[in-house]
Parts: sequence; C-alpha cells; structure tokens
Amino acid sequence: MKKVRIGLLYSRVRAEEKMLIQAIKQHGGVTLELLCTNDLVLDFGDLPDVDVVLDREISQSRALHVLNMLERSGVKAVNSYDTARIGGDKVLTSQQLAKAGVPTPRIKVAFSRKSALSAVEELGYPAILKPVDGSWGRLMAKIENRTAAEAILEHKSHLGSHYHSVFYIQEFVDKPDRDIRAFVIGGTTVAAAYRSADHWLTNAALGAKTYPCPITPELDALCTKACRAVGGDAIAVDLMETGNGLTVHEVNCAMEFKASMKAVQTDLPALLIEHCVRVGKEKESGGIHE
Amino acid sequence: MSNDRLGMLFSRIRVEEKLLIEAAHQRGVDLTLVDSRDIVFDLDSRFDFDVLLERDVSHAHALYALSLFENTGVQTINSYRVALTCGDKVATSKALRDAGVPTPDVKVAFTRESALAAIEEMGYPIVLKPVTGSWGRLLAKINDRDAAEAVLEHKDHLGSYYHKIFYIQEYLNKPGRDIRAFVIGDEVACAVYRSSDHWITNTSRGAQATNCPLTNEVRDVSLRAAQAVGGGVLAVDLIESDRGLLAHEVNYTVEFRNSIAPTGVDIPNRILDYALEVGRHAVA
Repeated sequence: MKKVRIGLLYSRVRAEEKMLIQAIKQHGGVTLELLCTNDLVLDFGDLPDVDVVLDREISQSRALHVLNMLERSGVKAVNSYDTARIGGDKVLTSQQLAKAGVPTPRIKVAFSRKSALSAVEELGYPAILKPVDGSWGRLMAKIENRTAAEAILEHKSHLGSHYHSVFYIQEFVDKPDRDIRAFVIGGTTVAAAYRSADHWLTNAALGAKTYPCPITPELDALCTKACRAVGGDAIAVDLMETGNGLTVHEVNCAMEFKASMKAVQTDLPALLIEHCVRVGKEKESGGIHE
Repeated sequence: MSNDRLGMLFSRIRVEEKLLIEAAHQRGVDLTLVDSRDIVFDLDSRFDFDVLLERDVSHAHALYALSLFENTGVQTINSYRVALTCGDKVATSKALRDAGVPTPDVKVAFTRESALAAIEEMGYPIVLKPVTGSWGRLLAKINDRDAAEAVLEHKDHLGSYYHKIFYIQEYLNKPGRDIRAFVIGDEVACAVYRSSDHWITNTSRGAQATNCPLTNEVRDVSLRAAQAVGGGVLAVDLIESDRGLLAHEVNYTVEFRNSIAPTGVDIPNRILDYALEVGRHAVA
C-alpha cells in the first residue's frame, strides 16, 4: 500500500503541531513533509510533492497563498483554499452560514466611519465590532454607546491595513459567561468544550477555562451544518447559548485545540491525521491526474 | 427609457465614472449609483437592479461589496472571483501560468531571509511588487544586494501583513514602454502603448499613451489572460520581451481615461454595451 504523503504547512511549532507530528509518526501509512513558510519559496514550477497539505499556518495570508497554489496544482488541502478563505473572513462566514440556514448573529457591513456609525446605531447598543480577518479575540470591541463607537471607528480607520476599513458590526448576544467550541472532523462532531470567562470574550488564548460539553443532537446537527456551509473538512465551530437555542458565530480552520484537549477525552490530532489519510486515499482512487 | 437596470458602485467620481454615468443617461438606462461610503449591507439586503458595475477605488471595499452583492443575486462586473484573482498578484500569476499564458518568472517568499535567497537565486535586477496594489505604487527595481536588504526591511515595517508576502518578478528589459489592452467580454476593444523614460510605465505616473495596433499576438495573449482570470471587463498589461509578449498584470477596475483619445474607441459605451448584455441575460 502506497503511503500518503502529508505536508504540514506551518510557521511556528506550537503544542498542536507537536501533537500532530507525533500522530503522523505513530501512523504507519503516512510520510511527513514539513512545509515551513519561513523557508518556503514558491516559484510556480516546482511545488512541494505531497498528496495532502494540512494547513497549520498561523498567518492567514500566507496560508491562503500557499493553499491556492498547491490546490491548483492537484494537492488536496485540509481545509481547502475556499474553506480557509471563507472561515478566515467574518463577512464570508456570516454570509455562508445565513445562506445555509444556520442560526447566526445579525450583522451589518459598512465601508466608512460614517456609514458604520449609522449601522451601529441601527443595530443598537451594545454592538460588537470585529476585524474581518482576526483571531484570538484580538481587536474585538464591545461598544456600549455612541461616544465609544466614534472613538473606536476612528482608531480602526488609522490601523494601516485596508481591511480595517471594512467594518463588521455584530449584534451583542447576551450569553452565559461561556461559549462552546466544538470540533467537526470528516463530517462528525467529535468533541466539544465550554470556554468560560468573567470577560465577555471567552477565547482560550485570553485565559478562558475549558470544561467538557456534551454533544447533544442539537449541537451535533448545528455544527455539522455549519461545517458543510463553509465546505469544511476539519474545523472548530464556536457557538453561543441564547434564549432561543444555539447560534454559531465563528468557524475556525487551522484550529487550536490545546486548551480544549484538557477538557475532552478525544484524541483530536489522531483523528485529524486519520482524516488527512482518508482524503489522500480518496484523491488516489479518484484518479486525479497531476 | 429602456428597461435596463444598472447599479454602479463607486467611492470617488473620477473621469471614468463621469463618462460612464453620462453614457448611461444618454442611453436611458435606469442607473442606481451606490456610494460605498454610504451603503450598509445586511445579510438579507436586496437591490432593484440586475447588474452592478463595480468602480470603487478601494480593492478591499470592492472585494467585500462584490461578495455581498453577488450574495443577493445581483450579477456583478467583474465577478467576486475575478476581483479575488486580479487583486492579488500571486493568484494572477498562478492563473496565467496554469492557463499557459506567457508571463514573467515569479518567486514568492514570506520572510526577509527566504525572499533574499530567492532574489539572489533569480539574479539582479529583479522587481519587488506589493501583492495588492495599483498605480505603480511601491514597485521597486532592485539592482543589488544592498538595495534588496534595505527594501525588504522597509517592506517588513509597512504594517499591513500584505507587505510581508514578497512577490519577486524577473526584470524584463522592455523598450521604454509596455502595452495595456482593454478586454471587454470576448473582444479586445483596443490597446495603448504606455511610454516613459522611467521603468515604471503607468499613466498615473506620467507615462504617455499612444495607440497600439491590435496585432494577432496582442489579441491572443490579452484574451487568453482575461479568460485565465475569469473574464469580464479587464485591462491586461503586456511586456514586449525577447520571448514575445508576456502578460504580467490584469486589472479588474479598469481606468481608461487616457486611452480613449489615442485609440478613438468609446470605451465607456463599450463597457455599458457589455454590462447591459450581462444584465439582460440575468433577467432572462
């Protein structure tokens, strides 16, 4: 049996990447190619020779450029370029979730400070301003009143990147002091954890505590639907509990799972690698020519 | 009054937008002007036009607006996919190469160290370009290692993460000019030479535009380049090299003010012809 060649795309080896490399080494049917974007030079002609690329790159723009290029040359990507592009962008994610009928918070999108302010006022306070392409809770702003809105919009418009002038405004959802992070791999919800904090932001990167969350049929149905909505292979879905049931506010592609691993008993790295192997074998039998 | 319902997204009315608006009015088109600085999108926004012509100067705004418009069922010129590809030089180069369109050699790196190694391997001079950018801004011709080190370090400090994607292109010794060809749908409407004493030949940087005859090669390479990125209303930039014409860039929000007089082609009306045609197909 031919071994599946997995390329690990990364720039920093975090605890997650260590676990994944370990899982690859323990798996009999795969070979590992380390694709460190710090060293990678893409010259279009001579691309890395792998069957599957597992995206673990923390820089969204690096990941997108490499995934697009590899995919166009016949490599299978977990997740795909399109999923990474949608999942890494709040506007595109909201669009896809709404289109698929997944409950998701109301949002508005505006391109100038003036129109953003009127959108905030229309949505009502408190409102949440999020960067369209951020992670780890960075630059998330809860806006309680017009004075705060004016100050934060002005600061955002001076941040340098053009993407900060795309204003993503989300209604504030009054949730308990926790949210849920669920992991969907290969179409199944394999694990879920509550993330709880005293702060309204419940990102593990900001120190939230995690504990096990039961995978109810409602949770499973929503997560797998959200995963399909973005065309995902292996993603983390973030959900909030509201008076009207669960609502999905984010999906994460090259997801972090170190903090959740403490709460869940599932071997996420092994499942992720197993999924990559499946994708690699499908590619083989699917007769895709390079 | 025709039944054509056209939307136009803009943020600044340049000469191009003025000409397009005038042409639309003369033809009795039902034109809705959408100022990107005023519009607020919901996920269930609806618009009462069939086709949207995107004329925003900001790539970020254009890209998000195109996605949001398409999501409401409006046809857009150009499509979100085309803007996604053309707004990114790496994606453009890959699309051109995959389609077999002659294009300059390019390397892409993500750190100063790997970029420097890639440059040295390619050999001087080379050109460093921002992956997203227009009007010749931040194009750097690098003649030696000292310049490479300095420019790479400056790019690294520019703030936007887009400047940390290093796009390195071979330098081509072109004859003091390049060619810009205007592709509208399946046709090459016209082309101009852009001549300058400087190696950067953007008309926004003072290059002079003169008519460029539509040879078979100009037509062929331009059309194939336009199709490679998804087609629509596009300006293809070509370099005359000793390997023949090379397509190096495809622009999706086309500026054309300096190309009407030298070519004698009514570019705004040609664009409208195409937009209305797309709109009629959308309705039918």
